[in-house]
Amino acid sequence: MAYKHFEAIEKHAGLLAIGIAIMVSLGGLAEITPLFVEAHKLEAPPGVHPYDPLRLAGKDVYVREGCYLCHSQMIRALRFETERYGHFSTAAESVYDRPFQWGSKRTGPDLARVGGKYSDDWQRMHLLDPRQVVPESNMPAYPWLAGKKLDAADIQARMRTLRKLGDPYSDADIAGAPAAVEGKTEMDALVAYLQGLGIKNEPDATSVPASTGGAP
Amino acid sequence: MSTGWSLWVMFLVVLNMGITFFLYLWGPRAKIPTLPDGTSGHVWAHGVLREGVRKLPLWWVLFSGAMFVIGFVYLALFPGFGSFKGLLGWTSHGELAHNVAVNEATLAPLMERFKLYPVEQLASDPAAQQMGKVLFEDNCAACHQRSAKGNVALGAPDLSDGDWLYGGSGSDITTSIHDGRSGVMPPWASLGADNVKNLAQYVLSLSGAPHDAAKAAAGQPLFATCAACHGADGKGNPALGAPNLTDKVWLHGSSVADIEKSIGEGRQGHMPAWSPRLSDEQIRVVAAYVYHLSHPADESRQ
Repeated sequence: MAYKHFEAIEKHAGLLAIGIAIMVSLGGLAEITPLFVEAHKLEAPPGVHPYDPLRLAGKDVYVREGCYLCHSQMIRALRFETERYGHFSTAAESVYDRPFQWGSKRTGPDLARVGGKYSDDWQRMHLLDPRQVVPESNMPAYPWLAGKKLDAADIQARMRTLRKLGDPYSDADIAGAPAAVEGKTEMDALVAYLQGLGIKNEPDATSVPASTGGAP
Repeated sequence: MSTGWSLWVMFLVVLNMGITFFLYLWGPRAKIPTLPDGTSGHVWAHGVLREGVRKLPLWWVLFSGAMFVIGFVYLALFPGFGSFKGLLGWTSHGELAHNVAVNEATLAPLMERFKLYPVEQLASDPAAQQMGKVLFEDNCAACHQRSAKGNVALGAPDLSDGDWLYGGSGSDITTSIHDGRSGVMPPWASLGADNVKNLAQYVLSLSGAPHDAAKAAAGQPLFATCAACHGADGKGNPALGAPNLTDKVWLHGSSVADIEKSIGEGRQGHMPAWSPRLSDEQIRVVAAYVYHLSHPADESRQ
C-alpha cells in the first residue's frame, strides 16, 4: 500500500473522523448494544411494582432537583459497599426507573436501599435543613419543596405516558391518582419516594446466583 | 446473554483483534517506496515537513507483541469472549462471596468471644467498643449525632446521659435497636389553651424548674389525664416510652413554649427497626457501645 492511500485520510479531516468513529464504535457495538437490547427484555421481579402516584411524583422531584448528581442508587458487588448499604443492586430492580438513577458520582451516600433507614420526620427535617440533623453535612437545603402542592392532572399525564412506554398502570390506577396526592406537597412526595427505596425491592436471594452480599 | 449476541461479540472481538494483529504482522514487512533523499515523498505544509522512513524500534515491536499475548491470555482466563465464562470461572458475585467469607472468618473468633458476655459486660470490651463505634456512626449518628448527645429538634434522645425512655438494660437497648421504637404523645389542645398553659407550668414544677405556682396549681387536677402514661407522680413509664417528667432531661426542649407545644400538639418519635439492616450480632455490639456511653465507670473496672 503506497502512502498515497493514507494521504487521503491524513489530509481530509472528515474522512479521518469517519475512520476513527468506525474503529471506536467496535467497542460500543460489543459492550453497549447487546446489553441495551437485553435490558429492554428485563421483567420486573416479584415485589417490584410501578411507582404509586405519590412516589412517582417524588421520583420526578428527585430527578428535577438533580439529587443524582451527588447520590447514586447502585450498590456495587463489593464487600465494603454491601456491608454499608445492603445487598448489591440488580438491573431488574430499576425496570420502572425512567431514567434509571444508578449514577457514578457520590458526594453523599448511596440511596438505593435508604428506605426505612430514617424516620419520615428525619427525612423532612433533613430536606428542610440538612445541618439540623447532620451538622457536618454539605448538602443543600430544599425548603421550597414543602410549599409546593402536587398537580394531580400532571401526575396522571405522566402515568399515561409511562403506560405508553409499557408500565402496567391500569385505568383505575390513573383515576385514583388525584385522591392519592390530594393535599400533598412535593416534600411529601419526595419523602414517600425515598422511604420506598430498596426495602420492598430487595432481590430474592434465591434468584441471584452466588449472592452472599451480606445482610440486606 | 443469548447465543446470537454471544456470536456477535465473538465476531467483533475477532474482527478487532484480527485487524490489529494483521497490521502488527504486516507493518514491519510493508514495502514503502523511498525517494533518493530517504523520505517517503509524503509532504505536509508545502514541503516544509517530510516523512522519513524508519524501521519500527525493537522495544515497540516487543511491547506491542506483549499486549497481544496479554489480551489473548485475558480472554482465555476471564469472561469477555462472548458468553465464554473464562477458564478461571471468575464472577464479580463470586469474588464478593469470597471476600465476605474471608471477612467473616477473620471476625469469627471475635464474634465468638462477644457471644460469651451479656451486653452490659460486652460494653467494657475495647474491641466491641471499636466495632460498635463504627456501626453507630454509620447507622445511628444521623439522628443521635456522632457524640450520641441526641437531637432535640428531631426528638432523638441523648444516649449518653443515663436517662432511658424504654429502659437502659442491655436487653432493653438491644430490643430498641432490633425492633425500633414508636413513641406517640397525643395532642391535648382540646383541653383549651389556658389549660395547656396551666399544665405546662405544673409539668415544670415536677422537676423543680422555675414556674408560675398559681397556674401550676390550676393545672394539677388536669394531670390525671397525663397520669395514664406518665404516672401519677410523673415519673414516666418505660413500658410505654413515656418520659419521666420529674428529671431535668427534656426530649423535645425545656422552654415553656416547647412544653406547651408538646402538650398542645402532641409529639411523635419514630426509631426505625435495624433488624433488616444489621445482623443480631452487630446489634448486640451497637447496644454494648451505647451502654458503654452512659457507663464510663465500667471501663475503669477492667
